[in-house]
Amino acid sequence: MYIDQRQLSSRDMDRSSRIATAALVILFSGLLFVFWNIQVIRHDHYGELARQNIYRRIRTPAPRGLIRDRHNRLLAGNRLDFSLFLVRQNSRNLKASIEFAAQVIDLPPSAIQNRMEAYRDYPAAFPVPIRRNLNLRQVVMVQSRSDTMPEFELSVEPSRDYPLGNTAAHVLGYVSEITQAELKEKSQQGYHAGDVIGKSGLEKQYEPVLKGTKGMRLVMRDNLGIIRRLVEEEEFVPGDNIALTLDLPLQQFVESEFQHLTGAVAVADLQTGGILALVSHPDFDPATFTGILEPAKWESLTNDPLRPLQDRFIRGRYSPGSVFKLVMALAGLEERLITSKTSINCTGTVRIYNRDFHCWRSWGHGQVTLSEALRDSCNIYFYLLGKRMDIDVISEYAQAMGLGEKTGIDLPGEASGIMPTRFWKNHQLDSPWYPGETISVSIGGGWVTVTPVQVLQMISTIALRGNCPQLHLLDRIERRDEELYRYVPRFRKLPIRLEHFEKVIEGMFRAVNDEGTARAARVPGIEICGKTGTQQIISKDNPRYDELVKQKRFRPHAWFASFAPRTDPRYAVVVLVEHGGEAGEIAAPLAARVYRRLMIHE
Amino acid sequence: MSDLLRFFDKTNAIVLVTICLVGILLIASASSTVSPAYHLRQAAFLVVALVAGFLVMRTKTDTAFRLALPAYVALIVLLLIQLVAGRLVAGTRSWLRLGVVSIQVSEFIKIPLALMLARYLARIREIGYREFLRMGAMLGLPVVLIVLQPDMGVAFILCSLLLGALILKRVRLYVILTLVLSILIGSVLVWHTVLKPYQKSRVISFLNPEKFSQSSGYQIIQSRIAVGSGGLTGEGFMRGSQSQFEFLPTRHTDFIVSVLGEEFGFLGISLLLLLYFLLFTRQLRFRGTGDAQFYFVYLFTGLILFQFLVNILMAIGYFPVLGVPLPFVSYGGSSLLSFMIGEALIFRMKMNPFIHEN
Repeated sequence: MYIDQRQLSSRDMDRSSRIATAALVILFSGLLFVFWNIQVIRHDHYGELARQNIYRRIRTPAPRGLIRDRHNRLLAGNRLDFSLFLVRQNSRNLKASIEFAAQVIDLPPSAIQNRMEAYRDYPAAFPVPIRRNLNLRQVVMVQSRSDTMPEFELSVEPSRDYPLGNTAAHVLGYVSEITQAELKEKSQQGYHAGDVIGKSGLEKQYEPVLKGTKGMRLVMRDNLGIIRRLVEEEEFVPGDNIALTLDLPLQQFVESEFQHLTGAVAVADLQTGGILALVSHPDFDPATFTGILEPAKWESLTNDPLRPLQDRFIRGRYSPGSVFKLVMALAGLEERLITSKTSINCTGTVRIYNRDFHCWRSWGHGQVTLSEALRDSCNIYFYLLGKRMDIDVISEYAQAMGLGEKTGIDLPGEASGIMPTRFWKNHQLDSPWYPGETISVSIGGGWVTVTPVQVLQMISTIALRGNCPQLHLLDRIERRDEELYRYVPRFRKLPIRLEHFEKVIEGMFRAVNDEGTARAARVPGIEICGKTGTQQIISKDNPRYDELVKQKRFRPHAWFASFAPRTDPRYAVVVLVEHGGEAGEIAAPLAARVYRRLMIHE
Repeated sequence: MSDLLRFFDKTNAIVLVTICLVGILLIASASSTVSPAYHLRQAAFLVVALVAGFLVMRTKTDTAFRLALPAYVALIVLLLIQLVAGRLVAGTRSWLRLGVVSIQVSEFIKIPLALMLARYLARIREIGYREFLRMGAMLGLPVVLIVLQPDMGVAFILCSLLLGALILKRVRLYVILTLVLSILIGSVLVWHTVLKPYQKSRVISFLNPEKFSQSSGYQIIQSRIAVGSGGLTGEGFMRGSQSQFEFLPTRHTDFIVSVLGEEFGFLGISLLLLLYFLLFTRQLRFRGTGDAQFYFVYLFTGLILFQFLVNILMAIGYFPVLGVPLPFVSYGGSSLLSFMIGEALIFRMKMNPFIHEN
């Protein structure tokens, strides 16, 4: 019998048992130690990982406030869009995930790789936004892989929509994904990576009003990302709506009039200072920036030599040219250096400080008074006036009218331009002021640069006889249908005598209605007052002037600053055409068409 | 019959059944999201296993030893049949369908194999070349067949019987040296000549899951998170977030201990370890009526211990993911039944000195 075969004694067996027991004691002590280490000592670590596994804070983006025109016509709204996110933590093979994403949205994997890199400091559970506004085919592509690729998440989110395309692009601005720098700066204001934020125009200016408050849902999710339990929920609060002073049909009309030109046009309502139309051209489609990862379109806009993204109305800096003569005239009258009867003889050329200064009309204007000098834009009159004035006095008046200083219009990124003074030149250029430079300034040349919005403010101030309006675009802020805020017109009174304004306005009236330089702006039935400005890019003294000026880039900038009617003025219109040529031929007629339209729609 | 009850190790029986009940409890929690839940089936398996165990315990040990070879041959034949015409279950041909019950044949081979090895160890004085090769052949045949199924886990666990034999019996030094050498040379040869690239990568990922296999690395991480988040007292029955929200993979079978760790904490784990410790030490305190019985008790206990260790260490990431169930606890009828039969044999062998029928 096998079971009776014996080599081992009972003592052997007892010994084996003791050894085995000792071994088991050691083994099980070891196991206890290992479990103690994982479960008790490292409990916090694994507990945190477990929470990261199941809890997910889902932020529900709030729709941005709507932007409407003065009659509540929609300029910027929202639409629902599919967005694609990649959660690193859920990816079993990140490289494969990135390649798949690249295939879906038709971009090189390196672009997505870079995107993931940018989010490296975020927790692995953070959904990195890959692309907004997916099309249906892309949605289906992702959805059909959801079981094998749980790292991809689709969500339906409101995204900015500009139903009118390029219309009022510079006014509206655009929204785009928040940058690391912005995020750092605004971390206290409820922004998170992947959010969109206003980058320019009113989208930026009124970002705090428009953005609303995000909602939040704290959920528990299983391994497939399916939500099992809703732990906490906060509803989002949509952004407040804003209504602008803009009048959409007028805006579109001006845009269509300006579509082949480069420059800016603005129409202001003189009773309030509200902007009725504001065009900067070339323009762009703000929707380009709403989606993510469309570098091609973005680059074509930023690399365009015409700089379509720049709002020329507030950022374009130009010499004011003859438009500046209005400031000179007011200053001369107020300083009692001239009266309306002061007359000079224009022979076409005047010699000042051993240099010849020319009138634009080489054979001269003959005897001219102030109103004739403004009507015909006589340079000699203002050279001689400038010779009798100090640059600091000229600047004082110009600055009082708002030239060389930000107007404070509610658009971000306004440029200030330059209204030179002695102090300015000493400090900025480290050189003294030469009297000859004052002569150039007196016809709006030299160091002077202004933005179209400054000219609009100046012309409005003249129109209102010294009441400087605060130019603005925002009219109302509304939450649902309740009005939270309405703009109250504000005016600043200039200490210049009313009769002096009347004398300048007479010159402007004659420029349009008495065969002056702005006669092309005449519209029967409206008393338009205006002043042209043709700012040369190259000097007329240049021997090759006639040949060079045929090239567009050497053609002068054309200004026209105007208002109407002469008494109880309602509207101010400023036109600037870059390289437009003679102001009277291009800027003035364009303004006339705007006034005609304003008259029809009264 | 009366003797049977009088000398029956009641304490160990209670320990054993308690382990099985802990298993059913954990399976209930692990399969709460599945319908129908597995714990009721496991309870049925337990009843069957206990009845079978009782019947085996009544069988004379001598008879058991004598039936070992026929059972071994029969199981080998079944394994062969399976290989040829096995039913495919989840990619592995390891299940034999008998009526409504599927039986995992490979689980049962360990019983006749342990019996045969024990009997052989009792016959020899020491392990030389000849003895080693004989035992190797006994073990090798089923192991190869099971590897072909392929069920690496079961095959790997079976090898622990040979390891046990080498520990229990005096082994000639040259055998050990030859063994080490041949394993080295053999694996290098197999690596470079037999294995195809995809098989190599399978072996690599099998040996080093965290580095090479995203999915088993994921399993290990999730399992450690579950165990670690349990803390001292656990999150409570049916309240483990990782288990209930299915982050824990194959939690009613391979990773059942992680469910225990998460829901009952370190205390729960300690309790289970204590139960196993009692079971092992009590049944190794053996003064049988013959060497073969002694060797069987040690070989079989060693196998349970080995499988227990592989499973637990795998669950906390100290061993590659191998897919072996935790004895008596994990869901599975074949595993439970085969281990219970082995235990019944051990219970009987411990009683033999007090029974005077033969």
